[in-house]
Amino acid sequence: MTGPLYIFGAFGYGTSLLIAVGIGFLFGFVLERAGFGDSRNLTNIFYFRDMRVLKVMFSALVTAMIGLITLSWVGLFDYSTLLEVSLLKTYLWPQLAGGILFGLGFVIGGYCPGTSVVGIVSGKLDAVVFFLGMVAGIWVFAAGFPLWGGFYMSSDLGRLTLWQVFGLRPEWMALLIVIMALAAFWLAGLAEKWAPYDK
Amino acid sequence: MKERDYAQGFWNPYVAGVALGLVLLLTFYLMGTGLGASGAVARTAAVVAHSVDPQATEANPYFKDFYKPGASHPYVNWIVFEVLGVFLGGLVAVLTARRFRPGVGRGPTAGVGLRLACAFGGGVIGGIGTRFAMGCTSGQALSGGATMVVGSWVFMMAVFATAFAAAYFVRKEWS
Repeated sequence: MTGPLYIFGAFGYGTSLLIAVGIGFLFGFVLERAGFGDSRNLTNIFYFRDMRVLKVMFSALVTAMIGLITLSWVGLFDYSTLLEVSLLKTYLWPQLAGGILFGLGFVIGGYCPGTSVVGIVSGKLDAVVFFLGMVAGIWVFAAGFPLWGGFYMSSDLGRLTLWQVFGLRPEWMALLIVIMALAAFWLAGLAEKWAPYDK
Repeated sequence: MKERDYAQGFWNPYVAGVALGLVLLLTFYLMGTGLGASGAVARTAAVVAHSVDPQATEANPYFKDFYKPGASHPYVNWIVFEVLGVFLGGLVAVLTARRFRPGVGRGPTAGVGLRLACAFGGGVIGGIGTRFAMGCTSGQALSGGATMVVGSWVFMMAVFATAFAAAYFVRKEWS
C-alpha cells in the first residue's frame, strides 16, 4: 500500500495513537541501545572524545532520507503528499534562535528532550532534573509569550526544502547530503584520535 | 582513547543509527510525519500549569491552543502517546541490558551539586529553545533533516555550532 497510510485514511485517529506507542517503544529502545541514556555519552562529542552522537544522528537521517526516496521510486510512498500536507514548516529566524538556545541547553544540561526520557528510565537523576528544567523553561516561554509571540511566528517560509532552495532534484540533494555525511564520519574518526580536552 | 565503562556495551553507532533511521522511515510511511519529543514536554508544562491555575492557563496566549473549547485533553495527542512509548521502550532496553544504574552522569572531577544545577539550567534554556524552534533533536534535526526541510537544517547547524562553541566554558562539568 502506498504511504503515508494515515494521511490516505488507512486507519483512524484511535489506531494512530496505538501506533504512536509502538513507534515510541522502538524509538526509546534504539536510543538506549545507542548509549543515549547517559549525558556523558551525549556530551563527549563536544570535546571530540566520542563522536557517537554524530554517527548515530547522521546515519539515521541518511537511512530515512534514502528510504523515503527509494519507497517513492517503487511507488510505496507519495512524496508529494509530504510536501503538500505534512512537511514541517520553516520559520527561519525563530528556528535559528531556537537552535542557539537549544545548543546551549544541550551542552550545559547534557540531554535533549527524547534522550532525557531514556536517561530517566536508566535511573539518572540529572535526566530527571533536566526534564523538570524543560518544563520550567516552557513556563517561562509561555509567560513571556506576549513579548515574543510575534517573533515566534515570523519569517514563515512555508514548506520549504533544501533541494527547492538549491534548484536541484531531490535525489541530487540527497546525494550531496550522503557525501557530506560520509565526510563527517571520516572527520569524526580523526577527531576521536585528536580529543584536545581529553586529559 | 580508552573507552570508559559508561560508554561500553552499546550497539555500534552506525548500526544504532541505521536502526533509528528505519524506525523514522516506518513512522513517515505510516503517519506522514516523523518522530518527536519536545511537544510532549510542552503539553506536560501546560497540563501541570492547568492543574494549578486552570483560568490563567486557558487565558495564556501560548497554552490556550492546548485548551480549545470542546477539544480533548492535551494528553490525547500523537506525540504524547509516542513519548509514553519511549518511556516503555527505553525501560525494556535498560532492564534487558541490566543497565539500570541510579546516579548522576557527570565529568570525573565535577560535583553532584554543580552537575544538577547545570542540568536544571540547561533544561530551562533548552526547553525555551524547543518552543522557538517548534521541535528538538528528534522532531526538527532528525525528522526535518531526513526530509531536507530548510528550517530543520538551520536548527541542526545552530544547535551543534553553539554547543561546540560553548563546550569550552562548561568543560569542568564534563572533564
